[in-house]
Amino acid sequence: MISRFSLIAILSILFLLVTLILATGVGSVALSPGQVFDSLLVCTSDNASCSVDPVYQRIVWEIRLPRILMALLTGAGLSITGAILQSVTRNPLADPYLFGISSGAALGAVIVIAAVSGAGVSITLGALAGGIFSVVLMLTLAGSAAVQVERLLLSGVAVSFMLSSFTGLIIYYSEPDTASRLLFWMMGSFSNSQWQALLLPLLTTSIGLFLFIVYRKWISAIQAGDEGAFTLGVPVSQLRLSMLVIGSIITAVLVAQVGGIGFVGLMIPHICRYLVGSQLHQVLFMCVVIGGSFMIWVDVLARSILNEHILPVGIVTSAIGSLFFFIVLKANRTR
Amino acid sequence: MSFLKSTQQPPQTSDKSEGINYAHSIFEAKQLCWQVGEIKILKDLNFTISANQFIGVIGPNGAGKSSLLRCLFGKNQITKGSLTFNQKEVSSYSRKTLAQEIGVVLQEPPTHFDMSVFDLVSMGLIPRQSLLSFSTQTDRDSVEQAISDVGLLAKIQMPFNTLSGGEKQRVMLARAIVQKTQVLILDEPTNHLDIQHQIEVLHLVKAMNITVLLSIHDLNMAAAFCDQIILMDKGKIIQQGDCETVLNTKNLKQVFKVNANIDSHPFHSGQRISYNFSHRTDSEIIELEELKRQKASNLGIEHD
Repeated sequence: MISRFSLIAILSILFLLVTLILATGVGSVALSPGQVFDSLLVCTSDNASCSVDPVYQRIVWEIRLPRILMALLTGAGLSITGAILQSVTRNPLADPYLFGISSGAALGAVIVIAAVSGAGVSITLGALAGGIFSVVLMLTLAGSAAVQVERLLLSGVAVSFMLSSFTGLIIYYSEPDTASRLLFWMMGSFSNSQWQALLLPLLTTSIGLFLFIVYRKWISAIQAGDEGAFTLGVPVSQLRLSMLVIGSIITAVLVAQVGGIGFVGLMIPHICRYLVGSQLHQVLFMCVVIGGSFMIWVDVLARSILNEHILPVGIVTSAIGSLFFFIVLKANRTR
Repeated sequence: MSFLKSTQQPPQTSDKSEGINYAHSIFEAKQLCWQVGEIKILKDLNFTISANQFIGVIGPNGAGKSSLLRCLFGKNQITKGSLTFNQKEVSSYSRKTLAQEIGVVLQEPPTHFDMSVFDLVSMGLIPRQSLLSFSTQTDRDSVEQAISDVGLLAKIQMPFNTLSGGEKQRVMLARAIVQKTQVLILDEPTNHLDIQHQIEVLHLVKAMNITVLLSIHDLNMAAAFCDQIILMDKGKIIQQGDCETVLNTKNLKQVFKVNANIDSHPFHSGQRISYNFSHRTDSEIIELEELKRQKASNLGIEHD
């Protein structure tokens, strides 16, 4: 008999495939699933049987597909990071922005926008530097206390507020244009997604996922308690710190590319646990598929709710996400 | 009942790569000290723990029982003296090797997130598994066997958080069984358990027939199950020896500040300890007796 996990896994993969085809068709130029399918698989190499307009093909390959893949990577990366951070800190409220990464990235971005935008430094690079800086700062400030979860979390909160205050200060003394550009960046968007921008997120997310799966047993042991994990031979503090650093790198890279998209990393892991239970490799797999699909649909909504106007993804994520989460919580209560 | 006292078994032998020498004594401490900052918690402890003994560590709250047990499995690193496990310093072992040799059941079982009984017990396999390996059928069988040993097979897929306190304790014991260690350390395993489950858990541990060290508050349980007792107070070992030697009225009075009566137990060959529940000190009791006597004699005079 097919197991519950296999069934859910197969269904969710099918859903992701359908999502990919449908989402590629949505936009100012609407394409039928057939056209999308042909452009993706049939018309790849001067195929004679190709019946799709070359312009449509370019829309699919150069505009829509990179954007959708970026959404997929963002959803997957933030969800697996959230799942791991929740496990190693044993805190169901942990999410990828736990350690002030979004504040750090915002600070990096605002410095680039306000001060050095003419010097050929992109916002992305500034945000990446800012995100990594926040993690380094947090670990330095926490010092030897970083072995205790509670102190680590509090250091993260402190760093987050500290960096936010700098960002606020810079915005306060800058032009209104800078402020609005930063605000838009912070709300998240996939509109700047091109093929070459996918490389770094793809690399960090897949290496991170590989490491999370390798260390899954140790992570589960920590999830069940530090001292218990110690008695099973797990190097608790070192493992927790390594996982935090890996998660932070994934998050920093993603935030730098697409801005601050909250809630996915907090909510999707919980939904996946409700669906498949607590086995970490199964939860991670579901996080990739469901987190990715969810983000793609959020982006579709963001660019189709209003005519000729794209809503920031961050806003749609939080709105849809919280609603979705309430439904899951309610369903779980009545189960 | 004879099954309550273990029979001495020959030391186990092993061909493990780290060259562990299984001699008669498993743990040996000389002048062991452990302190946190400036506060000395364990002070100059000397003791030897032999193989396949069932050893109870008793003493009042704050005596250092848990601290001592944590030194044995390497969680507390001793600050002075020496502590050897199979003739090698505990600190010289890798964490993984210690986890393969010493199983631990702690006071507070995990409470966060939903983990099934099976998942939690499977963690006992971690010390002997490589990171990349997936569980084999043999592994799963051994996990199921352990869960069946503790009588929870019917709840194998239940979330751990939905179990009762006694069931949680048995799950943690199953995890230690899966670990297949030569030593088992338990920190107050009978806390929060009703009398039926206390007896059940101790019988399970006893049946494992390995070296067991446990801290325990119930002295009658200790007398029934332990081969040896380590009596602690204020970070020091007051006495180590068999139950008959250590559990005496003088020791109980000195350490627990209670007046106890010790006689032979009606159901097994060990001792039975009954306490005087009165809060009065010895001198108060003597005074009271004196008063009663006087009253009685006064009454006698009046009757005359």
